Amino acid sequence: MRWATRAGVHIDRAACAWLIRRHLDPDAEFVFVDDPAEVPADATAFDMRGVELGHHGGQCSFETILGRYELDDPVLWKLAELVHEADLDDERFDAPEARGLDVALRALSMIVADPRVLELSGPLFDGLYEYHRRALLLGREPA
Amino acid sequence: MADADERRTVGRWVLLAYRLPREPSTPRITVWRKLERLGVARLGDGLVALPADARTREQIDWLAEEIVEAGGVATVWLATPGSAAQERAIAATMRAARAAEYQTLIEQARAALHGAAVERARTGRRLRGELRRIARRDFFPPAERDAARAAVDALTAAATTAGAATAPRATTLQEERA
Repeated sequence: MRWATRAGVHIDRAACAWLIRRHLDPDAEFVFVDDPAEVPADATAFDMRGVELGHHGGQCSFETILGRYELDDPVLWKLAELVHEADLDDERFDAPEARGLDVALRALSMIVADPRVLELSGPLFDGLYEYHRRALLLGREPA
Repeated sequence: MADADERRTVGRWVLLAYRLPREPSTPRITVWRKLERLGVARLGDGLVALPADARTREQIDWLAEEIVEAGGVATVWLATPGSAAQERAIAATMRAARAAEYQTLIEQARAALHGAAVERARTGRRLRGELRRIARRDFFPPAERDAARAAVDALTAAATTAGAATAPRATTLQEERA
């Protein structure tokens, strides 16, 4: 399936792309556009104005996708808090590492193109998932 | 020459023109708070502006979306001020707004300097977070920014050295005994 989002990928879009590929569509193909009008007819748009999989009710797109596809894995919702704070910084959740994650993704997007940002950030989200999975099982931060 | 200078100094701005229903008031308050948090320049009724960059454009886009979802009307524009003088005037109001925020922070930091070490450390952490939040909406840094940073640094330094100062003193005592 094809998925489209805005070019110049930052935290929310990188996390959404990871979520889509890992939990919704292993063969996902991503298209990056500068204007909503450029979204191909056969593509599902995400993290763009005026689309279903965007920001809604104060939630970031990652949270919207989790809700829309009824992904109720608590580890994913923990990652959602991180992405929410990194993207919106509205202090709804306590996620002090979010600021660092936002900077890391912004820094990455300055030196490589969007497809490469997804390639490089994918393993980071895999690792964060594992970290928070262990944290949830242990009930404290894993070593 | 002056014309060329003027053109060079005028930047690109992202503008949000919006209108929200009077009732319910909750979305109005939410939007107002978010605009305050972003540090926008208020150009008129329902018209705000920020210097345009990837982040501000995105923030304004999402806010426009939220306004539409709340039953309002919102359009986002990219614009350049008609003159450098006009831009300077807007920048000056934004700089003054941030200066006032930094000033409040400086006063809080100074007041806390005389408190107990635990209280100093706690206030230091809180003010550091506040400093970061102000800095994120500070597009035209006033002189108060460095002063605020120094005041918070002084506070956290006082809090950490208060604990550390006992260590060398203990060593001295031991040396004296020896």
